[in-house]
Amino acid sequence: MNALPMRSVPVTPTVRHAVELKHVSKHYGKLPVLEDISLAAPAGSVLAIVGASGCGKSTLLNIIAGLVQADSGSVQIDGVAQSPAQDTRVISYMFQEDRLLPWRTIIANAEFGLEAGSLSAEVRRERALEALKMTGLEGFEQAYPHELSGGMRSRVALARSLVVKPYILLMDEPFSKLDPQMRSQMHQELLRIREQLKMTVVFVTHDVEEAIVLADRVVVLRPRPGRVRDVLPIDLARPRDPLAADVAETVRHVRALI
Amino acid sequence: MSSLPAGRSALPRKSTRIGGLVRVTSQRLSLVVVFLVLWWLAAQRVPAFILPGVGKTFDALRELIASGTFGEDLGITLYRVVAGFLLAALIGTPLGILLGSNRTLGNYFEPVLSVLNTVSAAIWAIFALIWFGISNGTTIFVVFMEAMPLILTNVWQGAQSVNAEYVELARSFQMSRAKVMTKIYLPTVLPYFFSGARLAFGFGWRVSLVAETIGSSNGVGYRLRQAADLVQTDQVFAWTLTLVFLMVLLEYGILKPLENHLFRWKKRVS
Repeated sequence: MNALPMRSVPVTPTVRHAVELKHVSKHYGKLPVLEDISLAAPAGSVLAIVGASGCGKSTLLNIIAGLVQADSGSVQIDGVAQSPAQDTRVISYMFQEDRLLPWRTIIANAEFGLEAGSLSAEVRRERALEALKMTGLEGFEQAYPHELSGGMRSRVALARSLVVKPYILLMDEPFSKLDPQMRSQMHQELLRIREQLKMTVVFVTHDVEEAIVLADRVVVLRPRPGRVRDVLPIDLARPRDPLAADVAETVRHVRALI
Repeated sequence: MSSLPAGRSALPRKSTRIGGLVRVTSQRLSLVVVFLVLWWLAAQRVPAFILPGVGKTFDALRELIASGTFGEDLGITLYRVVAGFLLAALIGTPLGILLGSNRTLGNYFEPVLSVLNTVSAAIWAIFALIWFGISNGTTIFVVFMEAMPLILTNVWQGAQSVNAEYVELARSFQMSRAKVMTKIYLPTVLPYFFSGARLAFGFGWRVSLVAETIGSSNGVGYRLRQAADLVQTDQVFAWTLTLVFLMVLLEYGILKPLENHLFRWKKRVS
């Protein structure tokens, strides 16, 4: 056991990781939820976490977001270990539901993301307008959420995540409530915006097709407790059409792993 | 972006809104006319000390206004109602939020509220008379005891209905507790507070008159009793008309427009 080769400490990897988890485990009471999860998302890439329900996908995302503490293991954001005093404003979290505040107009909902900080009202407004423009919501600033369709509400939620100019965007099955057509439209928008803002995107989904279309790398989880089953790089050319033969083939392959 | 809906076109147009306003106004006016005619017909066959006629009542009202203490009596009653109501809101709202956001406290204190709600306003008035004598305090206390549980119950309910998902959202943006209170709790509770406050003000206004008949030497309630004692039924009617007019003014002049403005974000059920 102690005959480990005297290899020098691995040289700093050439790839910079925006998110890196090492041996992360989490229990809720006696129930193990996550066991020894290690994964990494290179800066500027899209990482998908897929798995059946009950494999702790959302918990994993909450740990990356800092909303939940891991029992053991390390979480590094941009190479720096997370601490309670972290400035996670660079991380944005998009929930499964749009969670728009019904009493606020669209523009005020978008501004909500900035209201924890100390930016002036003008700067907040300006950045919110910018984000709404980016998500194609110009002209709807003064509408209320109940006046919008599901797809547009989803865009508002995306805009609210973008106002903080996130370095990392975390998404928990963000488009699962949309119809397929709206969904693929949102996928394209997301990829375009990611390109524009140079974000790292980490998202959780149970939809393998969504994962293959969006991601550079797919982490497949095994349920109860959640463990990493496989990590697959997806090197298909973009834009990816879910109906194209190579994409469909990859989807089939990954589905078989779940 | 062809799939974007036409957005705001679902909102009512201005012209249809004005048309609706005219229709509602004419309906209300016709209701008033029907009421006046019925009153006039009934008064034809009944002695004036039981049911004074329309003309007699308006004469009495004119006399009351001319007598000089009319404004004073209205003012003092209004002052007592508003004071009791404000006290109730100031104490009931924070208590309601506290009990609503803390389940243990809420469960513990729940029976107290039921007990408070079962005590009649007349009993509070008698207690108040013992404790405060003939003074403003008596009426204010009765209004407070009537209004406070109503506001408290509603705010309590509102605080319980705060969506945990919104709180989590705020937390994901690193919002402080104080900001979660003002940006999530307060807007959620506001509609509940509003309906509680409206109810409380109406109740407070009504019980204030009861309190004033036994516990004060001025105010509308006192004048009502005086008029009743002297069998000046036309004056009782004149006061009643004044009160009804004031409440209608409050409802349609202040509360309704305020409500429409505050809760303009709500989906209208058509």
